Amino acid sequence: MGGAINARMAAPAMPKAVGAATTKPAATSAKPSLIRELVDIADYITHVRNEIAALRANELTRDRLPMAHEELDSVVQATAGATNSIMTAAEEILSLPDDGNYRASVEARMNDIFEACTFQDITGQRIRKVVDALRQLETRLSRFATAVKARDEAGIDPAEMERRMRDELLILNGPQLKGPATPQDAIDALFD
Amino acid sequence: MALDLGMPILVVDDYQTMVRIIRNLLKQLGFEEVDDASDGTAALARLKNRKYGLVISDWNMEPMTGYELLRHVRADENLRTTPFIMVTAESKTENVIAAKKAGVNNYIVKPFNAATLKTKIEAVCGA
Repeated sequence: MGGAINARMAAPAMPKAVGAATTKPAATSAKPSLIRELVDIADYITHVRNEIAALRANELTRDRLPMAHEELDSVVQATAGATNSIMTAAEEILSLPDDGNYRASVEARMNDIFEACTFQDITGQRIRKVVDALRQLETRLSRFATAVKARDEAGIDPAEMERRMRDELLILNGPQLKGPATPQDAIDALFD
Repeated sequence: MALDLGMPILVVDDYQTMVRIIRNLLKQLGFEEVDDASDGTAALARLKNRKYGLVISDWNMEPMTGYELLRHVRADENLRTTPFIMVTAESKTENVIAAKKAGVNNYIVKPFNAATLKTKIEAVCGA
């Protein structure tokens, strides 16, 4: 940004400054132009400062992003805890003795499973908070990028490049959004 | 040929929940000798210390993926005949073809059910 401002200042100013050393009329015409240029730059700086303030970057890094991390950590813990409870109940059911208490014992474990499933309501609310925070971040960044006419640096971020190369080399596509890309039946046909 | 229920099986997955699910399914099928490893590197170390009748591996793990593990196993003189089933969410055709070229014996896409696992084990281990 500093380079761009310097270039804007230097380009129109230099020829007029040279002219100012030789002829007086050129010097007087250069001053309003230079002042206008400086006023434009000052306006631009004020505009950018306002846009940076509107980003509320401190609020994002102090409150919203840590909140999103914490909420997502809680979601991971809640789903892991629920899965653990459900699997424990299932394992206990499978190892119950076939005696007179069998039904009562199964019902007790089923209640454990129902209780474990209550995690879904809470994790849904937590995820909605994170989605809201991300949406707000997206809105602010988008507004800022538009206001300062930001353009992405050419090329790809080196860390991202490294990740992509690893994914390509090891064929890491990850889960597909709408279920498996190739159904099990089609895969089975390749092995028949 | 009947399934050898006494054969040791190595389950390789970085998610303990998935290891637990597969372990339980194998137990239901009658397999009792089940070990686990959390990635390809740990699995290779186990494979060099014990003779396994079957490897059931995830694909996407770090540092060593299941695909790399498969290639190591097939390149190793002592391990190359070990039956290997990939159980993974990697469901693109290029993944399946790459695994098949690398010598995988069968391929299961997550999420899967007990019947699918049983069918594949029977197909690979010759029931």
